[in-house]
Amino acid sequence: MSNEVESAQVNDATEVNQLSSSAAVESHAGSCDEEMPLLLLNDVVRSIPNHVVKALLSIGVCSRCVLRIFGTEDRIYCHPLLSQSMLRSIIEEVTGFKSEGSAQFCSVCLGILQFSYCNDKETMVKMESPNDMALTIAELVKKEGHQIDGFSLEVSVPQLIMENESSLLSAMRKRYESEPWFQERLLSKCVPVKDVLKFAITKPLETLLDVKSSSAGCFRIRLTYTHKMASDNSVERNQGFKRRKIGKENGLHNVNDESVISNKVCSDYSTNETISVTGSSSNILQDQEPYEHLRIPIDKVSEPCHLVYLCYRTHIYLCGRYLKYSRNVSQTRWIIDEERMGEASVEEIIGSNILPMCRGDNYKFHAAGREDIDVRMLGSGRPFLLEIHNARQVPSEETVNEIESKINGLENKLVGVKNLKVVGSQGWTLMREGEAEKQKQYCALVWISRPLEDEDVQSISLLNDMQILQKTPIRVLHRRSPLEREKIIHWMKIERIAGSSQYFLLHLCTQAGTYIKEFVHGDLGRTQPSVGSILGCRAEILRLDVTDVKMDSF
Amino acid sequence: MSDIMVDQTHKPEETAVPNNLQQHHKQDEEHHQQQQSVRENAEYEDKELHKLLVPDITLLPLTPPSAVESNFASYFAPDFMNPGNDQYIYRHPNGLCVVGLASTHSAFKDKVGVSAVDFNVGKSDRSGMKVTGKRKKNAQHFESNTALCKVCTNDASYIIRCCVKGSLLEVNERLIKQPELLNSSADREGYIAIIMPKPADWHKVKASLLSLEEFKKLRALC
Repeated sequence: MSNEVESAQVNDATEVNQLSSSAAVESHAGSCDEEMPLLLLNDVVRSIPNHVVKALLSIGVCSRCVLRIFGTEDRIYCHPLLSQSMLRSIIEEVTGFKSEGSAQFCSVCLGILQFSYCNDKETMVKMESPNDMALTIAELVKKEGHQIDGFSLEVSVPQLIMENESSLLSAMRKRYESEPWFQERLLSKCVPVKDVLKFAITKPLETLLDVKSSSAGCFRIRLTYTHKMASDNSVERNQGFKRRKIGKENGLHNVNDESVISNKVCSDYSTNETISVTGSSSNILQDQEPYEHLRIPIDKVSEPCHLVYLCYRTHIYLCGRYLKYSRNVSQTRWIIDEERMGEASVEEIIGSNILPMCRGDNYKFHAAGREDIDVRMLGSGRPFLLEIHNARQVPSEETVNEIESKINGLENKLVGVKNLKVVGSQGWTLMREGEAEKQKQYCALVWISRPLEDEDVQSISLLNDMQILQKTPIRVLHRRSPLEREKIIHWMKIERIAGSSQYFLLHLCTQAGTYIKEFVHGDLGRTQPSVGSILGCRAEILRLDVTDVKMDSF
Repeated sequence: MSDIMVDQTHKPEETAVPNNLQQHHKQDEEHHQQQQSVRENAEYEDKELHKLLVPDITLLPLTPPSAVESNFASYFAPDFMNPGNDQYIYRHPNGLCVVGLASTHSAFKDKVGVSAVDFNVGKSDRSGMKVTGKRKKNAQHFESNTALCKVCTNDASYIIRCCVKGSLLEVNERLIKQPELLNSSADREGYIAIIMPKPADWHKVKASLLSLEEFKKLRALC
């Protein structure tokens, strides 16, 4: 730090009024906190060659961009309490630069580092300091009622800024590379706009929200800047640079004179003007080099960026197993021609009870397989995953248990839930893992066209890992491919029903994807073998229940 | 359903200090008790499940409706293009139609019944086509009078037709090797083909078909 100060003083061509600067510091001094940064700031500004600062300011580069281009280590220009006016007056103090008229938007950062933007109500907003901006964001987070234990800040800026910056840097390189200070203050230290913004507002946000920030946060605060001009394609811009050259080629100009700067209306996309500036310093040689001028093909900016704030929590997941006691409830919402099929859906019963407890925006229901509307899901239950979008709070274990009891205690007893808990994104892998070797267990109420014999019970129980061939059932043939699928019936067991010779319960365990109803009645002979063909008679299925979905991880 | 094996063979460490020994004993007991209650729980759940599964026999009909009766709407085309050519169309709510020979078809007047079925009629062998994919590519579009197959008895042969205009999704190839299916169960395993008509085409033909009741009356069936 001290080195830079020395070299700046050696190189200094303009007068430096240290006394008046200290006076300026005193007049700005408020609390002790504010004073320190101002002194540092003074030193930093002095460390940069004045003529360069003035050159940049005159072509519309904002104060913060000037400082970040030189990339000082301490990042003083990111201090949250450093206001626009403070910064501007110090620079003007040190360099003697007088700004002309009303503040314009920075030609490089498009007003982003001047904390000026257009909000979603199309109103122009001009914040004084990073702290003010952090306040606005914090208010938004609080208004939404988010309960967080951390956040990650994401900023997105128009590509145009990068292009402007590289044009500026290469122009500066051409213009100043012969000057002595250039070797020591390499322009590679330039700090990106995004980083400056993040550095500036992260600390105050942490204080206001009383949490720490991290790159891996589940709660995202996203600032998206867009700009009308940024929709130009850069090729056009470059061509514009080659085509037109405005400004005097020769002669020195005092940088404070009105250089040739054409005012450009933002909505005019097709033309390009170049902004030409020369440095004024006694160090400049009289010979006019071809690259004497700081030519930058950057358009004047009369409109700031449009900023959209977004804060949201990444998806949270709840997993568990559900039971379906009703034969009139579908798994997911099922509507045909505006009419609901069935009286309710598992998805809606579970989702509507969990969503309000998380204060989320939306939910998505995923289950490991499904059953028909008229088939009950009993026994161990079917694994499911509920995705909650933008939850304002993550429910505690206690709350989750309450939700489970609540759903199980509903009067209409249509659906039940087991093992409900919050799970991380590994919930997906758990679901997928289980799917591979899923076996399902069922209980079917079967009727046959002749009395059941003991031999039947025997022969059925002896069939193990029997392979069957199922043509796509007629009832789904309209929407599925006509294929023949091999499936395995792992085991079967007949349970007689007291008082009936032709009705019985068939317990069976099959490979995932087996159509049980068709296995019983044969689907006009398109499933072979079927219960009917094995017993040598006609078999009909009246009811089906799923009694177990084998999945260890849930 | 699932029996949990209780590990009864766990031995406490003998070299441990008395305190530790006590702790192990206690842990063992707790563990044992836990497994005991898990097992009891499972047994209880099984019992509860079983209660839900067993039906009330008094509420069940003596003879339940068949799968066809429950899942399809039955229609009949008597004397379709030829006297005695009675065919049925079972229509599923999803629009698919299963066509076949009604029990009153002339072919069944023969003592022996059907002896052979040949799908090679018209311009192509109907059993040769391969329909693929959800959109049913390569399905041939047939008119209601297009021939599906020829059914032969000892003395005669009958041409069976689509009865409804639509795409032919499938023919019952089993009939080639097992024509007797028509004799035993023409209304089920002996179906002829599955056709997918467009909603408009179904609407047009529906008017000319008879319901089961109407057909029974016509043929004086009980």
